[in-house]
Amino acid sequence: MSHLVGHRCVECGRLMNPRHLRCLDCNGREFEEVPPEGECRLITYSEITSLPWGIDERSRILGVVEFENGLKALGWLRTDKAKMGMRLNAGWGPVRVVGGEEVYGLTLVPAKSSSRTR
Amino acid sequence: MRGVAIVGVGMIPFGRRDEDTLVDMLSYAALNAMDDAGIGDMPIDAAYVGNMGAGLFNHQTAVASSLVDRINLFPAAAESVENGPASGGSALKNGVLAVASGYFDLVLVVAGEKMREVVGPRATDVVATMTHPQAEYIYGATLPSMAGMFARLYMPKYGITAEHLAKVAIKNHSNGLLNPYAHIHSRITLEGILTSPHAIVNNPFVADPIRLYDCCPVSDGAAACLLCPIEMVAQFKKPAIAVAGFGQATDTHTLQEREDPTDLKAVRLAARQAFDMAKLSPGDVDVAELHDAFTILEIAESEHVGFFEKGEGAKALERGQTQIGGSLPINPSGGLKARGHPVGATGVAQAVELTWQLRGEAGQRQVKNAEVGFSVNFGGFGNNVVAFVLRRES
Repeated sequence: MSHLVGHRCVECGRLMNPRHLRCLDCNGREFEEVPPEGECRLITYSEITSLPWGIDERSRILGVVEFENGLKALGWLRTDKAKMGMRLNAGWGPVRVVGGEEVYGLTLVPAKSSSRTR
Repeated sequence: MRGVAIVGVGMIPFGRRDEDTLVDMLSYAALNAMDDAGIGDMPIDAAYVGNMGAGLFNHQTAVASSLVDRINLFPAAAESVENGPASGGSALKNGVLAVASGYFDLVLVVAGEKMREVVGPRATDVVATMTHPQAEYIYGATLPSMAGMFARLYMPKYGITAEHLAKVAIKNHSNGLLNPYAHIHSRITLEGILTSPHAIVNNPFVADPIRLYDCCPVSDGAAACLLCPIEMVAQFKKPAIAVAGFGQATDTHTLQEREDPTDLKAVRLAARQAFDMAKLSPGDVDVAELHDAFTILEIAESEHVGFFEKGEGAKALERGQTQIGGSLPINPSGGLKARGHPVGATGVAQAVELTWQLRGEAGQRQVKNAEVGFSVNFGGFGNNVVAFVLRRES
């Protein structure tokens, strides 16, 4: 995967991430790819201060976000301070080395309008 | 289906057991269960071995075959059962089904894990391999961080505070002091872990709002149960404990795909199945072992299985209802929090504790007149859950 993409069931319209081969609602097997749209909103998060082997940082904030088109994903918040409901801009970058290879994933930075919450 | 009984249980003290291999630990627990039942040289038909991570923790696979060889169970059928932290519960369920079906009569269920063979961050990483590989693991997600994200939503929704979480830890550490098999034997106080100025040093955040003392320890250990059909129980020396009901349910791998991420659906469904099969209700339970890998889970599970309404679990804790001597003691063993959590072992360790409680053999932590016990073994972050109702046979 070179970027974040959701999968919408052609049958019932349910939007899923990660990918499934049968729709979680209707068991449909045809999907269309749906990229994230717009800013995203932080649904929940946790700052990890006891990180697993291979991540040499003092702490890392992970959070679940929801994009304006309903796509949800976990990502790495590149900020020191998180707040429930804060608005974030999404990027794509290296998040971890797994098996000797750099793996890319969703990175999140506060939107310029991050004081807005809803 | 035939009724199934637990006729022997065994365990070894949980903790750091540098002197033992994984198969040593499984063997000791198995022999303890066989001796407890007094089976002598009776042949065991099958062995189900619950284990989550021997391949990663110990560089060993095919553990069940190794156990059979170590304690001479030949030619018993044997297989390993892996279901993350619910591996023990799944092994027990599979053993129960094998006896209930009539195919096997005498079945040994053993479960264990040797986690302390690797350093802490490595253990954290091994356990994290149960998260979604592309959607969670790559970001460095850990099980405490999953609990942290869950707690951040669940706590304000249901009025749960950091003090409530600390009180779960204090209760379970207190219970663990009464359990010679517990990993942790230390009394903790609210001042020491939450309210004093130095509490943040004693009890730092691991994955906020989850602190160190909200987490179970990383443990080595093993536990075992011997099963047979109800009609055979007279052949064994100990009072029989019936497996009155069991249930197992699953939920989405990732938290983000749950319609309501504060709803532990698999816990609800597994518990309901177990109660329906047993023809009992949550109000019939005298003692429970819940999967408190994180303190928030003891409260949330106590609500999801139907012991308390949503938002009432923490209040019940405050009132002392869940203490030994309360109206519904939860985790008299010390739970995962103090007895320890050798991940694959836990589901069977819960059944061992309930068996001791229902027989009246739990020593200083005995719950008076306990006749019905209940357990929840929580796999993944709630995506694969096994529940049991055990009942003392008259």
